[in-house]
Amino acid sequence: MKYSLLITMFFAVLFTACEPSNKITRIDAGTTTDLSGRWNDTDARLVADEMISDALTKPWLNQFSRTHQASPVVIVGRVRNETMEHIDTEVFTKEMERAFVNSGTVSVVANSQEREDVRDEREDQQTNASYETTKKMAQELGADFMMIGNISSIADETVNKRHVVIFYTINLEFINVETNQKVWIGNKKIKKLIDRKNYRG
Amino acid sequence: MNFSNTMTTAQSRFLIFGLLLLLLTGCHSYALDKAQVDIRKSFTAGDFERTQEQLEKFKKKNIYKSKDDVLYNLESGMVYHFAGKHDSSTIFLSKAEAEIEENYTKSITRGITSFLVNDNKLAYDGEPYEDIYINAFNALNYIHMQDFEGALVETRRMAYKMEQLDIKIKGLVSAFAKSDSSGRVDWGDGKVNIQNSALSHYLASILYAKSGDIDDARIEFEKLGSALEEQSTISEFRKRPIEEFEYLKNPESYNVLLAGFSGQAPFKEQEDVRVFGGDDNEENNDDFYLKFSFPTIHLYPSETYRVRAIINDSVKVPLNLIEEMDIISSMVYQAKQSIIYGRALLRASFKAGGTKLISGAVRKEHKNLAGIIELLGFIAQETSEKADLRSWQTMPGSAWMHAIRLAPGQHTIRIEYLSEYGHVLYFDEYNVNITNRTQLELIESIYSN
Repeated sequence: MKYSLLITMFFAVLFTACEPSNKITRIDAGTTTDLSGRWNDTDARLVADEMISDALTKPWLNQFSRTHQASPVVIVGRVRNETMEHIDTEVFTKEMERAFVNSGTVSVVANSQEREDVRDEREDQQTNASYETTKKMAQELGADFMMIGNISSIADETVNKRHVVIFYTINLEFINVETNQKVWIGNKKIKKLIDRKNYRG
Repeated sequence: MNFSNTMTTAQSRFLIFGLLLLLLTGCHSYALDKAQVDIRKSFTAGDFERTQEQLEKFKKKNIYKSKDDVLYNLESGMVYHFAGKHDSSTIFLSKAEAEIEENYTKSITRGITSFLVNDNKLAYDGEPYEDIYINAFNALNYIHMQDFEGALVETRRMAYKMEQLDIKIKGLVSAFAKSDSSGRVDWGDGKVNIQNSALSHYLASILYAKSGDIDDARIEFEKLGSALEEQSTISEFRKRPIEEFEYLKNPESYNVLLAGFSGQAPFKEQEDVRVFGGDDNEENNDDFYLKFSFPTIHLYPSETYRVRAIINDSVKVPLNLIEEMDIISSMVYQAKQSIIYGRALLRASFKAGGTKLISGAVRKEHKNLAGIIELLGFIAQETSEKADLRSWQTMPGSAWMHAIRLAPGQHTIRIEYLSEYGHVLYFDEYNVNITNRTQLELIESIYSN
């Protein structure tokens, strides 16, 4: 009895040692995951979903299309991060660009950083590409609207830091490049309650 | 419960073994203390490469154990920062910050071990001031990398933590006081008043102004004014009126931020208290011995009295003393002092009481064995009781700054550290290339003496 218990324990230790230290499971990209309580992919996805559906259904789009008989051209400007976390705003602005382009109702032009590379390429073509394939200069599509915005947050915590509430508010706006008129303002609010454990094993 | 009647010889042997084990537990903490001294020595000598090598060596030798990860990352972050490897520095400092947050949840196992041995067995969760200055140096890292938005995130975190700290310390003290039913420990908060961080507001003011957020820059400027006013730590003659910082409001008036760090972080020293009690009557068996150790914090005296920059060997620009980080750190630590003191006393009482109880139980049947247990208990208290001297060794003592405008072209900037009598103690020289597109170039220097 004593020996069988010892042998069982020996093998248990042996198998534990053989087990890989990391276990990786592939999950659906749409799964909600909250590990640290900080800004994560789920938040970015929620913002993108809400903003896309709001921007594509509000009156500005129909009004512009009716007046100009063309789809509006949008450029993505700066989305300022005014929170206490390092947030990559491109995660949701890129998602929005993708949705706009694929919807066929809103055109998107390259932003200021992207167009630098494109302009360099075009300039390079003027001397190095064949005459038939060289792209013309000064043919860029001017944007009708610029999308700008900001993310700000308010954190509140108990004295013992056990409970933390983080409130994020994300504002995105389309501003008419010619008139400075704001034609659409979208807002998404996210509130999280983080309960920290005092003790672990 | 009659404990004495239930004590068998086997149990006594087991207890002796336990006490012997306790004797050996304190050794690692001494190795870490020595490593900390070595790190401080090479860093303050300006030999960042050697400090880096030492850190790696100590990590490999397991002197920095997993419980000391925060410390290892803090030191590495700072070494990489001053070695000009800002990307790596950010990774280490951010890791340290995340680990401090993670260590909020205390390990019960470690807690019990620390109660039996000493606080060195706990995972190091950083001093509150260390948590704050992580963000200051990370902000500087982001400025070096020309990521002003990232730098602003860090300054916001720094200001937020500073505001929370006052509440946290007061809350911590009241929590300990509530849970202490013995009423033997004075849990006073050390009468500390956590101040506004002038350094965070100074950096934020510059960063907002440079990002075109004039309104936020103005708000930060006003906060800087009140922080400078509130900072009682800066002596009268070193005090700078906010008018001297008016230039911050106009982002066009500067494109170079000069930063000098002088002095060293405060250091911790162990203080031991030994109490012998009882009477001379051996029959009474009421002798007791109690030893407890706790850390005290001390400022490192700096020779630097002023810091200035000399531009192109001609123009002299004095750098303003923005924050005496060492004094603020020391003040913050004082607030925790009574908590550490109280915990050490309770732990020592538990150890002494435990030895007394066991030896008393054994004494009736094995008088000699009881004597050995008492002796081992005495030695165990002596060796296992050790103050937790872990702290961020490479943190500088004071921050000096000024922002100036330089015309496009090549410039030499010399940052000089002066003694009380105006002698140049040390200088660093930099060559800077300013272009029309230069928004903010950060020139940063350190002299640790």
